[in-house]
Amino acid sequence: MSIMKKIMQWVMLSCKKATELIEKKLLTKLSFGEKVQLKMHESLCDACTAYEKQSKLMDQLLSKHIHSDGDSNKSDEVIENEELKKKIMEKIK
Amino acid sequence: MEDVKYQNDPAIVIKEWLDAYSDKMYSWCLYKTNSREIAEDLVQDTFMAAFQSIKKYEGKSDPKTWLFSILNNKIADHYRKMYRNPTVTESKIKQSSEASFFEAYFDSNGSWLKEQRPRSWRQEDGHLLDDKIFVKVLQSCMSKLPPDGYAAVQLKYLEGKKGEIICQELQISPTNFWQLLHRARLQLRRCLEINWFKK
Repeated sequence: MSIMKKIMQWVMLSCKKATELIEKKLLTKLSFGEKVQLKMHESLCDACTAYEKQSKLMDQLLSKHIHSDGDSNKSDEVIENEELKKKIMEKIK
Repeated sequence: MEDVKYQNDPAIVIKEWLDAYSDKMYSWCLYKTNSREIAEDLVQDTFMAAFQSIKKYEGKSDPKTWLFSILNNKIADHYRKMYRNPTVTESKIKQSSEASFFEAYFDSNGSWLKEQRPRSWRQEDGHLLDDKIFVKVLQSCMSKLPPDGYAAVQLKYLEGKKGEIICQELQISPTNFWQLLHRARLQLRRCLEINWFKK
């Protein structure tokens, strides 16, 4: 295989692999090589560029939605559960 | 004064806390777990733990803060367990669909299938959570994830912990964890697109 072909193969990530790197980027850090690969891929691929943008948005939404903080309860409706109180009192007695 | 109170009759204190906070805790837990049964169990476990260690508490912090910190630990534990012990049938399904999973998104060269190619969403701002209908869609999309994927997503955001720490706690390699998140992301993204962004 010619060197050029080898380089092209390394540069041309598949979209599947690119989305995997996007996930890795959001979780930890990419190596220098991976950063270059992803940049090159996204410069040619609108779909993966959109995918990364959407992944970041989903991350923002999920961390706000899930993040532990009992006081800033998003579902501001409080659901009463008298049965549960009784059950717990029984156990404690 | 406060200290004496907590030393004296834990049952009375717990009763007060139950009246003051248990509904809020239950609602919070229900929102986090999407299951009445699990939410009830976790709140109950929290109060039992509080009852047993009430002498250590001694009124040092706000009881609500204390109870919620116990509860949030219980919620994280619940997802760790869920991740570790998917039921037999679930892991079987996982194995058989592992290979075919990506076929729903990518062709054999790893390029996006034509109808799956991501395009910009009409609305890409962070205020979506103010929309109750969006939150419902998000929750229902989350609940469609396989249990290990669901648990992984919850754990990633639940305690704001770094990826490496979560992996240590779950005793899996970062590669496994991020590949699991990758699959969950693809599923969640598609579900949100169909049910919200392209509706």
